Amino acid sequence: MDTLLAGFSDAATHSLENARRWKAKTGKRVIGSFPMHFPGELAHASGALPVLLQEADTEITVGLGSFFPFYCGYTRSIVDQALKGEFAFLDAIMFGDHCVQLLGSADAIRCYMPETRILFNQLISSMDAPWAMEEARATFAQLKKEFEELIGYAISDESLRNSIRIFNKNRALIRQLYDMRKAGRLAMSARQMQDIIKSSMVMDKETHTGMLEELLRSIAAKPAAKAYGVPVYLSGHFCQPPKLALLDLIEGCGARVVDDDLYHGYRYIASDVEEQGDPLDALASWYLARNRKVPCPTRSDGRADWDLFLVDAVAKSKAAGVIILMAKFCEPHMYYYPEIKEAFERNGIAHLLMETEHESMPLEQFKTRIETFLEIIRRRAAA
Amino acid sequence: MQAIETQNRPRTDALPPGAKKANRLAATKFGGQIVHDYWSDLFSAKDDGRKVIWYNGTYIPPMFQTMDLAWVHGEAWSAYLAAKHGELPAQRAGEDRGYVRELCSYARTHIGSALLDLRAAVDRVAADPTDERALTMSKLPPPDMLVNAYPYCSSGQQWDQQIFRLFGKKIPIFNLSIPLLWGGRSDAGYLRGSEWEERSQYVAKQLRALAAFLEEHTGRKFEWDRLSEVMSYIKKASELRMEAMNLCTAKPSPASYFDWIVSIAHVNFLPGTQRIVDYFELVKAEIQERIAKGVGAVPNEKYRLFFDGMMNWNKVGWLAEKFAAVDASVVAGRYTHMSFWQEPQLIDVADPILGMAQNYLICPNNHGAPVMVNQIDELCDKFDLDGVVLHASRTCRGMTNHQFQIAESAKKHGRQAMTFEGDVVDESFYKDELLNTRLEAMLESMDSRKSYFAKTA
Repeated sequence: MDTLLAGFSDAATHSLENARRWKAKTGKRVIGSFPMHFPGELAHASGALPVLLQEADTEITVGLGSFFPFYCGYTRSIVDQALKGEFAFLDAIMFGDHCVQLLGSADAIRCYMPETRILFNQLISSMDAPWAMEEARATFAQLKKEFEELIGYAISDESLRNSIRIFNKNRALIRQLYDMRKAGRLAMSARQMQDIIKSSMVMDKETHTGMLEELLRSIAAKPAAKAYGVPVYLSGHFCQPPKLALLDLIEGCGARVVDDDLYHGYRYIASDVEEQGDPLDALASWYLARNRKVPCPTRSDGRADWDLFLVDAVAKSKAAGVIILMAKFCEPHMYYYPEIKEAFERNGIAHLLMETEHESMPLEQFKTRIETFLEIIRRRAAA
Repeated sequence: MQAIETQNRPRTDALPPGAKKANRLAATKFGGQIVHDYWSDLFSAKDDGRKVIWYNGTYIPPMFQTMDLAWVHGEAWSAYLAAKHGELPAQRAGEDRGYVRELCSYARTHIGSALLDLRAAVDRVAADPTDERALTMSKLPPPDMLVNAYPYCSSGQQWDQQIFRLFGKKIPIFNLSIPLLWGGRSDAGYLRGSEWEERSQYVAKQLRALAAFLEEHTGRKFEWDRLSEVMSYIKKASELRMEAMNLCTAKPSPASYFDWIVSIAHVNFLPGTQRIVDYFELVKAEIQERIAKGVGAVPNEKYRLFFDGMMNWNKVGWLAEKFAAVDASVVAGRYTHMSFWQEPQLIDVADPILGMAQNYLICPNNHGAPVMVNQIDELCDKFDLDGVVLHASRTCRGMTNHQFQIAESAKKHGRQAMTFEGDVVDESFYKDELLNTRLEAMLESMDSRKSYFAKTA
């Protein structure tokens, strides 16, 4: 099991290096993708390896001269990596999200990587618009067409359905881990869970699925370890994962993460794509439905309530409190935070907001705050 | 309503004795009167039995005017508060609820203002009758409908979602999606290509749906002939505005960016009537007169500049004087010259929807960088500009996204470029000393360059 977990960790940590190796070994294309809403299934059906571009752990240096410092760590890091030539091996990059900062980074990448093909298709963000389904389908159809132009032949419906099945299976296996953790039958650390999900974003899906199956077998073979610590729910952090050191700190202070809605977490694996029927219809439906499954503040949807979702999710996970991780300058999160805070207050849910940054991590300050937060929870429980 | 606290700040726009002052267009006084009348009319809308729409984004009021509605542009309201130095209480109310300061300050101010209104309604607190400004501000009528029509900026859509949720999801909302013109296809270009055609039809389709939404929530038929009439005034006013702007190729420039800034309301959110046509006729006539007399917008025009970025609404007069004092005429800008019906010829008054949609699509930041930067370079060439001043508005990332590319292109074309920090309506981000030193350095550099070329010529 340790070897498997080390494999996930290696894939998550060295995503670009591994993708370069994969390309050299297979001779196939690698497609970079921006988070959070583009289905890797389309790239996979074109025979390529879809790799979700990740915030780097390294310092932002040359990027400082091309992107303002008051942007989120993810966009600044991506521009920095582009300028350093880290993405030069990619055959194309697909994006087209709605977030204004991502749009800025998209144009910066086009400017600094003129040789790289950009597959830009903006998804509708008004999820409850009457034409949302038609528009989302048209966007995926255009993206499919652009993939076909890239590879020089048509992607069959069956091939796309096959990719959908492969991705669904992978998500379902990770959800099993989530269910076991929530039920207290799996003592997996937040770091390990992030490694598993992040590696799924960047690895060949079938290889990753094979590793997951092996992991599940080895978990089944061992008696369930008893989980210790104050159960907490992690919420927030969209395009970039929380730093591993922060996750370690949270658990090191005596917390036990039982569930989350992080993009590098449950948000990524929450929804499956319909395997029957027209695959573009299925992808468009998946895109629209997933926002109601785990509401996303980057979308506009009068029918989705992130605050109510969280109150419910916290209750179901039996978490004693929520740690909200807000990436600095993440506008969508900033908009919704007050509503969430009020919902937690109304429902008596203990919560702690922590603003994270790419560059610096005041770990000592964080430690004090987390310890105090956990102490409050313990006292509340004892009262 | 609760009294909105206003600030008694020390005047920061006082010039040193003998400083050269900006020579603003006299016509803008008439323009100011029209703006004043708009707000007065809005404040009495509920008394007149009119429904009120709060909206954000592009210039869609012709749709509302057609239905005899009253409308509030959230950005304009925030800018209005800032220009009157009344934005702080609203911003503080936003912060009290938990909105972080790095969030769009337009949104924070507008949402904060709504929070104050909601709180006042619950607490039944009236505005202080001795505070005229607070009384005026407390007259903002609450919304009966919400419309979001934000090109490019995701923050705009989330802002209206917050307003929608703040009012308990009880107010009908319409979201108009105006997608980015990325310009990645081989046939892409300014006002051309398959993406342009598809997106134009897509937005036009939504405008027709907006008409149906307005019919549903007013119980009245949308009068398409009335829309044509409204658009005829807007088209005429916009043509006059563009003609007047184009006259500023003259040296010295007869009007400045700051004159155009105070003329934005008229083509952004004021009603399409003969009055806005009259206004731009006056503006154009004054400009023609100035050209005939050789009068400039700054007393001694030595440098001609382009202004990029969103306006710093707390500092309009302050900036106008600062540039005038150093003989710099800010002739054109992205916000003023690349927006607000800047392609009026696209509007077919008999059937205006498609042309409206197309003008909405070409808002100044809704192009991918290659097209946008090229448009800016063309404006700089046309007005024979020496440099580009970029206002890095801290919380308006829609306008800062491309500024490094704009600066790089300016330098490639032999123009100086400098950035200063500020914000749209949060004054605390403005750094005056940085602007002073950077502007001074840029002008010195321009002098050296001119002197070098004069010697080597």
